[in-house]
Amino acid sequence: MKLSCPSTEFDEVIAAVCHGTATETEMRALNELLRSNPAARDSYLFQVELHSRLASNPDLFCDFQNVSESRAADRENVIALPPVRAKGKGRLMQTLAAAACLALVAGGIALFKWSQPGNASTNTPVAMLTRTVDARWGSKTHPPRVGSALEKGTFQLQSGLAQIVFYSGARLAMEGPVELRLVSENEAVCVSGRVLAEVPAPARGFRLRTGQLSVVDLGTSFGVNASHSQTEVHVFKGKVELLPGKTGEQSLAEGQAALIQGSDLPQLMAASPEAFSSMFEFQELSLASEALRYDQWRLSSAQLNRDPSLVLRFDFDNLDDSDWTLANKAARTGLAEDGVIVGCQRAEGRWREKTALEFQSVNDRVRLVVPNEFRALTLSVWVCLKGLDRDFNSLFMSDGFDAGTVHWLIRRDGVLGLTLFGPRFGKFQIVASPPVPSLENLGVWQHLAVVIDGRAHEVVHYVNGLPVGRHTLKLDPPFRVGSAELGNWNARSGPDPEPSLIRNLSGSLDEFELFSRALTDAEIRDLYLKGKPEL
Amino acid sequence: MSADPTRQAGDTNAAQQRFLSLFLRSEREIFRYVAALVPNITDAEDIVQQTAVALWEKFDAYDPNQPFTPWACRFALNKARQWIERRQRWQALLEHGLAEELAQRRQELQPEFEQRLKHLDGCIGKLPEGQRSLVEGYYYERASIETLARRSGRTEAATYKILQRIRHALQVCVERQASTETV
Repeated sequence: MKLSCPSTEFDEVIAAVCHGTATETEMRALNELLRSNPAARDSYLFQVELHSRLASNPDLFCDFQNVSESRAADRENVIALPPVRAKGKGRLMQTLAAAACLALVAGGIALFKWSQPGNASTNTPVAMLTRTVDARWGSKTHPPRVGSALEKGTFQLQSGLAQIVFYSGARLAMEGPVELRLVSENEAVCVSGRVLAEVPAPARGFRLRTGQLSVVDLGTSFGVNASHSQTEVHVFKGKVELLPGKTGEQSLAEGQAALIQGSDLPQLMAASPEAFSSMFEFQELSLASEALRYDQWRLSSAQLNRDPSLVLRFDFDNLDDSDWTLANKAARTGLAEDGVIVGCQRAEGRWREKTALEFQSVNDRVRLVVPNEFRALTLSVWVCLKGLDRDFNSLFMSDGFDAGTVHWLIRRDGVLGLTLFGPRFGKFQIVASPPVPSLENLGVWQHLAVVIDGRAHEVVHYVNGLPVGRHTLKLDPPFRVGSAELGNWNARSGPDPEPSLIRNLSGSLDEFELFSRALTDAEIRDLYLKGKPEL
Repeated sequence: MSADPTRQAGDTNAAQQRFLSLFLRSEREIFRYVAALVPNITDAEDIVQQTAVALWEKFDAYDPNQPFTPWACRFALNKARQWIERRQRWQALLEHGLAEELAQRRQELQPEFEQRLKHLDGCIGKLPEGQRSLVEGYYYERASIETLARRSGRTEAATYKILQRIRHALQVCVERQASTETV
């Protein structure tokens, strides 16, 4: 085969190379042509450049255009469901994540690989290591770091104490020697050793198995001491259900304990906190350190409130069931009023003593009004997701589709989306971050922020203090908020909205800020560091 | 383990964050550099991922006073070479020094490419809706040719053809825009 340039065959072979379908013969012919003909080489390079530009610049497709209002909603919809993750495609967008994971494995550091080697892309983290004291890990366990994600799999703690928090919210304290297998975000197997489980309401149903039985939690604190031949279960608070192999179900109430050996019936006895005293002390220490962190946050909150560019700040602190307003804590008054809580459950925040608002039903929302127009805006929120149930899960959205307003949301596929509406009717820009893998870590507090910089013409999304996507801002300021909602959206669509217009969040918020300027990378990082749950 | 594991983890986190923030900014540029050698998107992405790992492993040796992208591209070239070595077809395309020659020439042509490709956005906007959504489906959504063919009721071969025609149209468009600009 011989190629010449220009020719149709030449273009066709280039297309085949781009699509990955060129044969060896074609590639060889192309090689010969490109080496001997500089014009052909330049033409090849340009065609390939155009192709790689299309593949690497999602901005090209998130363009604003003239469309009607309903098309705007449709478009958010169309872009909403690319099967980027489904087939492992669009991986360039995920390289960040992969780089993080792979890098950690390659560097032999933080990512907790447990004992099985394998492909980093199949990681399924189900929990996080939150605290250790003098922990020595088994020889087959890669030493994990505090704060690292724990994947499914088995690990051994030889001695010392460790606490892990499952993504469901269940906390396990353990004292070595212990061998534990993580099964899912709400299930583990205690092969041998002593563990103390503390299970808050959202994780109810947490299941701990041993060689002899399953302990199903019914909202409690309980201890398990397991060996290969027997299991002891002690209930310190609430109630658990035992599901042994043959002897049928049995429930244990507070203060009760049971010893199960082989297939014998459980022997009932009194619960013995002494047997778990080291773990109780450890838990108390954890609590003390949480309280300290909470105090530090309150201190930095007081400073933050005085920022002159702070328009609106909700700290969601000290909320009780009767509160129906959310105070604007910004020291400069008159920029925005208090918010109004509609529905929502009061829930636990980043620290046990701190309150949060949980959004779950389609009615749950915080309504607010921000007058004025802005050259730049920064939105910042602490969120603990329960699920990405909808195609669009609202963080903060202006009502309807008015000129100059903003919609900030998380797509079902873990992409942070910001839609800005231009000054003219029907003009808008959708800015979509690459998929953010950590958004799939349900039940973990995360910091999200977006900066809309009208002067530098840039929109930047941040997750946990780090930029995850920078895009050119194609619309000119001013921008505004007007009437808006946290955790939901008023589409102004009438009584029976289409599914794409229902965008309520499933999860909790425990801090929100709106600034009238573009915060820098360093300032966003600082917001994250001051608010992150653990030191 | 060291005496103070949390401290050490903190340092690693900070380095990681520095790395990721640099890498993120350069990622597209590294991808295009690799794609000049291995234009197939998924293959190029594989190489970029391998490059990311290599970069992180050697991040200690990175001098923050040097620009990150050229440093990263040197690793990318190596990774691309290793990748090509194991694939006969791609060897056939890039052998006898063509890989290095392409990388080199691409650098020289960058300003000119930039001049033309800044019009890409506008040219995509001018495509008829059907073509636009096909390009978007292939490049942004990363739908397979099979899916795109099914969606539009064409054969896969016809879909490949149309994509090629659209790229050609975009090429003509950006070249025309760039040339009217210089007149």
